[in-house]
Amino acid sequence: MATTEWTRRRWLDWVVKAAAFLVTALIGLPTMAFVVLPAFRRSRPQWLKVGRLDEFRPNEPTAITLTFQRRDGWVIRTVRRTVYVVVKPDGSVKVLSNICTHANCAVRWEHQKRAFFCPCHDGYFDLNGKVISGPPPRPLDELPHRLQGGFLFVRV
Amino acid sequence: MLNWLERETGLVSAWQRFWAQPLPATVGWGHIFGALSLLCLAILFVTGGAMMFYYSPTPDQAYPSVQYMERFLPFGKFLRALHYWAARLIVPLIIIHLVRAFLWGAYKKPRQMIWVTGVLLLLCVIGFGLTGYALPWDQKAYWGTAVRLKIAEGIPLIGHAIANFLKGGEQIGAVTLMRFYVLHVFVLPILTFLVTAWHIRQVHHLGVAPAWVRVGDENAVPKTQRLHPDHTFRIAIGAIIFTALLLWLAARYPAPLEPRANPLDTAYKPHPDFYVLWLHELLKLFPPDWEFVGSFVLPTVLVILLLAVPFLDRSPERHPLQRLPAITTGLTVLFAIIVLNIKGMEALPKPENLSPLERRGQELFVQLRCYSCHGINGGGGPVGPDLGLGGKRDPKKVEALLRNPGAFNAHTVMPAYNLPPDDMKALVAYIVSLGPQSRMPPIPPVEPEKPPSHFEDNWLIIHKFEVRKDPQSCQSCHKPFFCQACHGQRRPSSHLRPDWLKFHFGNAADELRTCDTCHTPDYCADCHRLTRHDTTWLRQHGATLTKFGETKRFGATTLHQLCYQCHTRQSCDECHQGALPENHKVPDFLQRHGELAKSGDKTMATANRQANAQTCATCHTQAFCTNCHMGAKPKSHEQPNFVGQGKSGHALEALRKGVQSCATCHEQKFCANCHGMPMPHPQGFVRTHIQEARRNLPLCQRCHSWGEQNCRQCHAKRPPSHTADFRETHPQRLSDGGASCQVCHGRNACADCHRLPMPHPDNFLHAHGELAKGQQGNERRRVQNLHRQLCAHCHTIAYCRKCHLLGNP
Repeated sequence: MATTEWTRRRWLDWVVKAAAFLVTALIGLPTMAFVVLPAFRRSRPQWLKVGRLDEFRPNEPTAITLTFQRRDGWVIRTVRRTVYVVVKPDGSVKVLSNICTHANCAVRWEHQKRAFFCPCHDGYFDLNGKVISGPPPRPLDELPHRLQGGFLFVRV
Repeated sequence: MLNWLERETGLVSAWQRFWAQPLPATVGWGHIFGALSLLCLAILFVTGGAMMFYYSPTPDQAYPSVQYMERFLPFGKFLRALHYWAARLIVPLIIIHLVRAFLWGAYKKPRQMIWVTGVLLLLCVIGFGLTGYALPWDQKAYWGTAVRLKIAEGIPLIGHAIANFLKGGEQIGAVTLMRFYVLHVFVLPILTFLVTAWHIRQVHHLGVAPAWVRVGDENAVPKTQRLHPDHTFRIAIGAIIFTALLLWLAARYPAPLEPRANPLDTAYKPHPDFYVLWLHELLKLFPPDWEFVGSFVLPTVLVILLLAVPFLDRSPERHPLQRLPAITTGLTVLFAIIVLNIKGMEALPKPENLSPLERRGQELFVQLRCYSCHGINGGGGPVGPDLGLGGKRDPKKVEALLRNPGAFNAHTVMPAYNLPPDDMKALVAYIVSLGPQSRMPPIPPVEPEKPPSHFEDNWLIIHKFEVRKDPQSCQSCHKPFFCQACHGQRRPSSHLRPDWLKFHFGNAADELRTCDTCHTPDYCADCHRLTRHDTTWLRQHGATLTKFGETKRFGATTLHQLCYQCHTRQSCDECHQGALPENHKVPDFLQRHGELAKSGDKTMATANRQANAQTCATCHTQAFCTNCHMGAKPKSHEQPNFVGQGKSGHALEALRKGVQSCATCHEQKFCANCHGMPMPHPQGFVRTHIQEARRNLPLCQRCHSWGEQNCRQCHAKRPPSHTADFRETHPQRLSDGGASCQVCHGRNACADCHRLPMPHPDNFLHAHGELAKGQQGNERRRVQNLHRQLCAHCHTIAYCRKCHLLGNP
């Protein structure tokens, strides 16, 4: 009698605990996923059309301002970003960010000096984005690009 | 660890005691609903808390954040549905629990407080429902809340105060949403937690009432069970069934999300939720003036009665047959509520019974995306009329309209639908069948998924700009004739003006790409062949423009203006790409450009000597200056006499537009630079102005002309100093040399009487003899005349004798 009572109790105890675990898991796991997973999600890279490749003159960096939309949670904001397109005489293309690597100022192409000039701390970069003089620690960032049907696309 | 916890707090043994609580043998399956309500409450708490991570309680962002949750987050839709369904199920669960307790007589002494706290919990849950309803900020939320607040306003005496407190102001808006949010996630949860804890503690303290035993005989029932695992097993089985039901409901029927709240949409009809239908029906039983009886008095009485049940029914009997009055009353109320609810459900719009033909038409309605412009009793796009309204339609007319909408309204944006006869018949049949009972068919999600830009609220408005920017990006998903689904053969509204042809070049000059959206570039050449610029022209246009840009005229227009008829100023940049003209290359150009712009450039070639600001305008717009010169002079400052005497331009401008407009660029003390005092005169200045005027009269005179016009407007009455003997005594009062007189009388006022500047100037003693020269007669006569006419006002002849020995001059 004592043993049957004991097994019944144990069995009931086991069922209750399993049910508690099951219900907690069924409700809790989706909730955890809902709260945690989106924080680790990476946004899809955006390929933006910069222009027709033959519109850019060789050895003459051209500033292009791209306007695109960025999703920030439920807010969609329109952001602008400037890139410099450098086309070499041999046809190779570089798309450089206009953000100075030193203090995040905007650099501009100085036509006479044939260099990118950062007005904040007198940094100079050459046509390839390499540092000529001034404080910047590394060359200008290059943005990935691709060519498709004569158009230049850049990833931001 | 557990030992330590037990030693320090005694929690472990308390926990064990709680679960080992003995229960009477008669506790059974009917007793699980309290625990299930608690589980439901926990699920609501967890899912609601998770949604708080993403929800933003502002009218601007509430709806987008809910949409974001549903569209972009893992399990977002599922969790919201879970919360929605748990919120709907907890009300029946608590009511079943309540009815069970009522039938079992579980509220009898000493368990009155268990009942009371239970009823309070029911009220809390209803409060959750009422506040949570508003949070998604969709149409249903907004209009439902509007109705509820209106009902609250109907409560006599305190109704307006309650409604205003909930609204947080005069209208339903940002403050309302925040209040509902705080009530829903802060105030009510705390209340609910406290009351729940009290409720459970009370049950634990007094034990569960054995079924149908007279009060006092409880101990006769053997306590053969323990809470765990005997009763928890029943709860576990119930919990699994309940959770399965909840998960199934949430997965199968997502929580509805209507279009975003639109306070301007007067066509929206909110329908009450099923569990408040009985209240809704109750309202209908009363005339409008007595509506508060249904909306407030009866529910309040019901709540008070519920709370008072244990104090009204005090007989020791528990068995239902032994306390028939209480049971009958309770069941009657319950029955009345159920009957009213069923009646209310009948009044809800019923699902339509569509014939197969009409069903096919409904499919076409969805397929052809008619819903993107037309709603059916709400829903759908706002462009076309709502098809649920407007009564019975004539099938022939509907068909004619579908085939050629332009015949009914020349400006319509509705595209023509030339469907095969069968489809046309079906669609017409469906449209004709629509009436106030009809509902919008479910709209399948658009596949493939729209790009994020299309979810912008203003997408429909701004899409034309996006098209102009890059038609190819649209064409990557849409066929070119996609535009015609809405635009049809319609020309843009600008083209409908009768004088369009005459003015089109202006629009083209503003934004040539606008034209390019529909026309190819060589479209212009059809008419404008002569204006085409060939290569020779291209080579020469720079020199021609700099030489003759302003001098050569075609009728009234200069060469430059002729260019601007088609080109914008930025058009130069398209080729020159920022190439600098020669004069910009001078090292100190930036320092000197101001004077260059004004006067003409000496370093430039002779032909350009006369260049002036017009030269800058060749490439730069006016706005270019403001890039650096944030405060470049506004137009108003250019009028003649802007700064000058009297009511000059700037004073008038400041009076007309208010000083605020000056304050855009100038600080307040800017006025004081010239005026020496804050301008316009501060309040109360009229009381102190006399001191100011005495202190520095010329300051006043900069703007105010002399006495007659200005001072006399107010000072027509004599000031108190001008007593009756003032005329005799005023010379003695001129302590400040007459300046204070001038405030009112002006500089030459003395001369009105004295015919001389008064007081006498410094050199008067030497020169007063000259005055006599203007008189007639001999010398003696002249002096006498002079004295009589001028000096006698103040001086007797004896005064002269102080110096002159008269009689022998």
